[in-house]
Formats: sequence, C-alpha cells, structure tokens
Amino acid sequence: MVDKLVRHAGPDRLIHWLIAASVLVLLATGFLPILGIEFNWVAIHWWTGVVLTAAVLVHLLRVLIARKRGPILPGPRDLGDALAVARKNFRRDAPTPPLPGKYSVSQKLIHLAFAIVVLAAIATGGMMMVKVDTPWWERNPYWISDGAWGIVYVVHGFSALFLITLVMTHVYFALRPEKALYLRAMISGWITRPDYLREHDPERWRVER
Amino acid sequence: MSRDVYGREVLEGASWDLIPIFFGLGVAVMVVHTLWRLLAARRVDSE
Repeated sequence: MVDKLVRHAGPDRLIHWLIAASVLVLLATGFLPILGIEFNWVAIHWWTGVVLTAAVLVHLLRVLIARKRGPILPGPRDLGDALAVARKNFRRDAPTPPLPGKYSVSQKLIHLAFAIVVLAAIATGGMMMVKVDTPWWERNPYWISDGAWGIVYVVHGFSALFLITLVMTHVYFALRPEKALYLRAMISGWITRPDYLREHDPERWRVER
Repeated sequence: MSRDVYGREVLEGASWDLIPIFFGLGVAVMVVHTLWRLLAARRVDSE
C-alpha cells in the first residue's frame, strides 16, 4: 500500500479546473471569430468571464482568509534556488540545487504570471461588460472616453495574447513525464511519500497528513 | 490605432496580427525545452 499525502485539497482542485475550463472557453470564444470561425460568441464569452471571476474571487478569499499565503508566492530564497538550478544546467560540476518546498521556482513564476494576466483580463473584461446588455444593466458605451476604452481594449487584448503562450507552456510542462506526479496531484489530490521525499524538502513543505 | 471623427488618433486595441507571435513563443518554449532535456539526458548517458 503506497503512502499517499495530500498536495491539493478538493476545493483547490475544483477551482483550478474551473479556472482552466473558463480560460479555454474564453480563449476559444475570443479568438475563433478573429480566425474566421463565426458564431454568436459574445454571450458565451461574458458569461464564462463571470464564472472565471467568481472562481478567482473564491480562490482569493480561500487563500487570504482561510490559509497561509506563503507557499506559492516567490520570495528572496527562490532567487538563490533559481541561480542554483541555472548553475546545475550550465555546469556539470555545480552542486545539486536544493529541493523546493511545496512549489518550485518555475511553478511559482508561472502562477504569478497567470495571476497578473488573468486579473488584468478580469478587470478589463469587467469594464467591457458595461458595453453589453446584461440581466443587471443596459449597455452604456459612453461610460469612459474613447481613449480610455482604447487602453482597456489594449490591456484585455494583450492579456489574452499572453494567455495563449502561458496556457501552451503550462499544458506542455503538465504533460512532461517527469512532471506526471504534479498532474496526478491536481487530478487526484495526492502524491506518494517517495515522490514527496525525492522532489521536496520536508523542512520547507511540511505535509499535514 | 484609428482616427475619430475629429481626425485624432484613437487606440483600438491589441493587434490580432500578434496572435502568431504569441503562439510561436509557446511553441518555441516547448521545442527549446524538449531539445534541452534531450541534450541533458544524452550528456548524463555519456558520463
């Protein structure tokens, strides 16, 4: 019997997959019409944006109120870890890099990138909803000046473009064979104790059970 | 960019001509990392 340790609790996994599905639907409904595949995308797009916003808000509330914030935010120690990993990649005789806590430097960085880009997309997308008739209000295209709308569109557009690269990169690394334990953990919630001891420093990530 | 009724330049949004650039960047990350891992594995095998 393999000893299983909890890496991601059920609600965290649900929020992760809800955000993932929302982002994929938003990218599809945002970009397919630009690529020539016409359909009635606006309602699907903004409703999915509402779902994404709700999922991100629940995630933020869970992190800020119920749990510790530290594990996934990059800190000063991560700079040393990143340099150690880089040295090992470029010099054979370099010392083995220290084991990370719950998240590696690269995992922390891609989470930070997703956080910035998704929050920018949500903020600007929320503003753009003022231009759409919803059950809660009638559209008002004159809410802010044309110049300000331009900035909103630029930020929303670049957030979407960066999301293409980030999603591709994230999916690629999730599917790498050596990262299979993390994909399994995001599906099932657990990692094995041998994986934990091989890939993580128990002093930096104390598993609760 | 476009011009409003008064002839002033107005921001319209990000250019969708950039889609292949950002898609290509994603492909580049995957290809470079895959090659890097293959080279690293070969280097370990040769030691």
